[in-house]
Amino acid sequence: MAGIYIYSDKGPLAAELVGFAKTTGKAVNIVTFDQNSAASAAEYGADKVYLLAGDSLLVENNARAAAKFLMNEEAELFLVGSTPRGRDIAARIAGYLQCAMVSDVSSIVINDGQVSTERMIYGGAVIQSEMIDGMAVLTIPPGKFEAASGTAEIATVNINADSRVSLITTAPIVKKGVDISAADKIVCIGLGMEKKQDMQIAQDLAQVLGAEISCTRGIAEERQWLPQYIGISGETVKPSLYLSMGVSGQVQHVVGMREAQIIVGIDINDKAPIFDAADYGIVGDMFEIVPLLIQEIKNI
Amino acid sequence: MGKVIACYKWVPDEADIKINSDHTIDLSKAKWKISDYDKNAIEAAVQAAQVLEGKAVSLTFGGANAKSSLKDALSRGPDEACWINSDLASEADGFVTATVLAAAVRKMEDVSLVICAEGASDTYARQITPRLGAELDWPVITSVSNISINGNTIRAERQLDDCIQTVEAELPAVISVLPEVNDAPLPSLKAVIAASKKPVTELGDKDLGITDLTSKTRVQSQKAYVMIRKNIIFTEGDALDQVKELVGNLKKEGIL
Ligand SMILES: Cc1cc2nc3c(=O)[nH]c(=O)nc-3n(C[C@H](O)[C@H](O)[C@H](O)COP(=O)(O)OP(=O)(O)OC[C@H]3O[C@@H](n4cnc5c(N)ncnc54)[C@H](O)[C@@H]3O)c2cc1C
Ligand SMILES: Nc1ncnc2c1ncn2[C@@H]1O[C@H](COP(=O)(O)O)[C@@H](O)[C@H]1O
Repeated sequence: MAGIYIYSDKGPLAAELVGFAKTTGKAVNIVTFDQNSAASAAEYGADKVYLLAGDSLLVENNARAAAKFLMNEEAELFLVGSTPRGRDIAARIAGYLQCAMVSDVSSIVINDGQVSTERMIYGGAVIQSEMIDGMAVLTIPPGKFEAASGTAEIATVNINADSRVSLITTAPIVKKGVDISAADKIVCIGLGMEKKQDMQIAQDLAQVLGAEISCTRGIAEERQWLPQYIGISGETVKPSLYLSMGVSGQVQHVVGMREAQIIVGIDINDKAPIFDAADYGIVGDMFEIVPLLIQEIKNI
Repeated sequence: MGKVIACYKWVPDEADIKINSDHTIDLSKAKWKISDYDKNAIEAAVQAAQVLEGKAVSLTFGGANAKSSLKDALSRGPDEACWINSDLASEADGFVTATVLAAAVRKMEDVSLVICAEGASDTYARQITPRLGAELDWPVITSVSNISINGNTIRAERQLDDCIQTVEAELPAVISVLPEVNDAPLPSLKAVIAASKKPVTELGDKDLGITDLTSKTRVQSQKAYVMIRKNIIFTEGDALDQVKELVGNLKKEGIL
């Protein structure tokens, strides 16, 4: 059946995409690949839930069969939650269908069968708007739309999953600590901090401020000091205060925090781009500035 | 013994983007570079080619100015470079790019592995790798943080948002690597000199025998995100005075 098809490996995000899809007046269908997800998805307010049962432990292995399904159903639009799995299966399906795909869209407008989208390019420095005629695959990050709810019937379709990639082991990532996307104040450390034990000054500052600690990608992914980081490939935060030390402030990082109410940068290099993004800045050595700052705040 | 292809994109440096008064962008002053994370893809391909005892070949689909990228790419270790020189590159969407890259891979015989980066510095669409895999109808492994190759089998660790998966596939395959997969070293002077002697294959899009290379998406506009901040930077006086100024302002803002 024509209409909008939706997939996300994160249930709540699928419900948000249903919330958007329903505003178009088109039929709204959710695609799932396992029994449990289908059962939850049946409560997200879609018209129908399809369980494409293919027996693979890797969701992405269903791409080829899902593409065929969408083609047979004459899907008009395929909306996928932007997560690593979501982006992968979405792009593989777009590849098999040889159709348009726009990743991580920040806005969608549908008019007379034409789809207009906006997304960020150049690390967040530029907003690009695009127009598509015909079938499109779009990936959409969480938090853009109100989730829908309501009961749908589940239809099971047997498919043949692609078995060429096999899962050997899965190790869950246990994210310790608070979720920084909800933090009211954030102290952010960057690669300017060279030793893990130096994180203590950031912790001390965070404590007097009542802030959480976060970081840039390199601190989280290369050095693995902290679980979450801010930026285009990390978290988006909207605190009342974002204060950084040893963060150069390149656009891929700044894009994740530029909605903060007040941005403060401390960096030794007066040319660091963080100062263009900041309300207040101090050019100086964090090991000199931050202890003084802690003392001054304590003195209030 | 097969070839390992490293896909890289030649992109303007986003730090050099100038913003016009109407918020359109000016790239005329920008320096161009190999997309940041593609340096890790090239390094991964060089390492994989060593294990497979095959050749590492860099592959780019770019316009005339991508000629300057070839020596840079080769100085990072590949044995050969392939450049699809086409004006279509500047306006190519994911469909066109994946179609062209797939055709180029098919044209090179005996390819074992194609390695892309997680995402390009300009688009960061994280789209091309799975799309290219679908075009070739090869197995795809994305978000790879660790690779080991044994015989004809690739075993990869995938870093996802909620877990780390270990997966396996038989070659040929298409993979995308995260920048954390390796340290891409700066090329040595010796490597830079050696690069100029390495073979380069230049092809036009017409040489690939593709009939339809029309983008499925049409770009309507590109507007700069304009940041409006106070930009009050304390540089005068000693550190304590600066800190006092900052704290005074944060109090006024109602933050402290
Ligand atoms: C496609 C893509 C996606 C990316 N996604 C992200 C993302 O989501 N998040 C992210 O953070 N990055 C991301 N990056 C990386 C980003 O481009 C930058 O490389 C990164 O943010 C820089 O991290 P940094 O500021 O910690 O380190 P650096 O750029 O190395 O900056 C360190 C700073 O510390 C300063 N410093 C050194 N010593 C001191 C001292 N004693 N006191 C004070 N200051 C000092 C230096 O002057 C410098 O400004 C991405 C890149 C690409 C290409
Ligand atoms: N024009 C191109 N030429 C060669 N490789 C490319 C090109 N465009 C994208 N790629 C590869 O695909 C990856 C992902 O690109 P993207 O999906 O646009 O983020 C890049 O990091 C490159 O490895």
